[in-house]
Amino acid sequence: MLSVENVSVSYGAIRAVQDVSLRVEEGEIVALLGPNGAGKTSLISAIVGLVPVAAGRVALGDVDITHKKTEDVVRMGVTLTPEGRHVFADLSVGENLRLGAAVRKDKDGVRQDLDELLEMFPILRDRYKAKAQTLSGGEQQQLAIARSMMSKPRLLMLDEPSLGLAPRLVEQIFKLISTLRGRGLTLLVVEQNAHDALLFADRAYVLSTGRIRYEGDAQELASSENLMTHYLGTGTEVGAGTSAPG
Amino acid sequence: MEYVVQQGFNALSIGGEYALLALGLAIVFSVMGLVNFAHGEFITVSGYTMYALFIFATPTSAWSLLPIGILASITAAVIFERTAFRPIRNAPATTGLLTAFGLSIIVKNFFVTVVATRSKAVPTPDFFNEMISIGGVRIQVLQILEGAVTGLALMLLLILLRSTNIGLAMRAASKDFNTVRLMGIRANQVVLTAFVISGALAGLAAIFIIARRGAADPFMGFAPVLKAFVAAVLGGFGSLAGAVVGGFALGIAEVVFQVVLPESIAGYRDAFVFLFVGGLLVVRPQGILGQKAQFGEKGA
Repeated sequence: MLSVENVSVSYGAIRAVQDVSLRVEEGEIVALLGPNGAGKTSLISAIVGLVPVAAGRVALGDVDITHKKTEDVVRMGVTLTPEGRHVFADLSVGENLRLGAAVRKDKDGVRQDLDELLEMFPILRDRYKAKAQTLSGGEQQQLAIARSMMSKPRLLMLDEPSLGLAPRLVEQIFKLISTLRGRGLTLLVVEQNAHDALLFADRAYVLSTGRIRYEGDAQELASSENLMTHYLGTGTEVGAGTSAPG
Repeated sequence: MEYVVQQGFNALSIGGEYALLALGLAIVFSVMGLVNFAHGEFITVSGYTMYALFIFATPTSAWSLLPIGILASITAAVIFERTAFRPIRNAPATTGLLTAFGLSIIVKNFFVTVVATRSKAVPTPDFFNEMISIGGVRIQVLQILEGAVTGLALMLLLILLRSTNIGLAMRAASKDFNTVRLMGIRANQVVLTAFVISGALAGLAAIFIIARRGAADPFMGFAPVLKAFVAAVLGGFGSLAGAVVGGFALGIAEVVFQVVLPESIAGYRDAFVFLFVGGLLVVRPQGILGQKAQFGEKGA
């Protein structure tokens, strides 16, 4: 579904992502792991066109989206829930969700999806008219994901969904991600929290200093203490289940 | 009593004019962080378009010039955005500021060169200058219209910002434009809408300004927009509600100083007004309704 071929991303003289290739197949959950500053956010921002691709190619199916505008990529069914949630603080929960569906024309479908999402995230129904800035961190994360879902994406990219959340909430968010897959969504999840991410992912990529260091089966990576220590520096801590500090 | 009511309407109409202009500045600033110093040129373009129509098309009624004046201002806003501001949208704020200054100079000198430096008469409906009596107090129709039109424009804007997708997107874009784009909403559309609204509000203000001075000249936009800047800062720059409150506050302050200052120093009215605004900003640097800037926010 998504293929990234030899992509590089630069900020001035600094090369944040170097010659990275990865692919995400329909219905998969792929984890993109790596330490802080590895280039994970730069890579997915480049996929949706928020930062320019310096070299390489990004394609959705057969369509080249390398230099497409963000709004056009989103309209093609790829969306990103940015790190740090980025809910529209001054807008109500309902208005946030409404903007998520802003480009959809199927009014009935939007209404139905809204009902389903409010079922899935009861807290958003309770706080529907409240300003998003009054929500707690976990609630804002749920709102951000629900808002992305309102656009009815084919591929959803989540940037650090567990960042800054209490362990109990992290578990809740990851359960939710599994539920989303059950609904036929394809997911690319960026995480520093390798342990939890690998529990539900099919495949994983490890990015470090802008390059892919490992790619392969998620379970294999999770079960190999050697690999985990080597690439993610979490070897003996696997199982602690806490999120890495941001 | 009659005097107080008359001055009250006076403050309302002047304040309304400042509010319309300040709001236009604030909308563009909140959406794209641009301080549009060429805002006054919307008024100038509006004035000269009405003048040109009056000379070349010789309409039978001055009423027909009014919608053209507003349309001209909106068109100018759209053209400015497309040609001057879009190419530098992602540049630092100072680039935008300098571009706006440059644009303002170009437009002024275009009219100086092509038309003339001295002012050209532009007719407005005589009805504007009639006096009507409300409860025994005689008020100029223009002043009532100005208050009413400002109120109506604000109401329409409020509806747009609260209940349409593009309005919600504009409010959201003021804090986080990239996330708005992640909703699939086109950045160009949001920015263009901000300019269209800004131009429409300036066009309304232009009609009242022209009605009061009866003529167009190349520098006619400067003074009102300078005041509108002061109003926007007074209310809290970037805040839409602040722009409105600041506009009316400035209008009231002007009228109050006009009334209370002894005749010998009444000519220094604006100096007193600005001193008052300056004093207020020392006490409340973020303006009347402005929020203290937070790290990471636009304009912080």
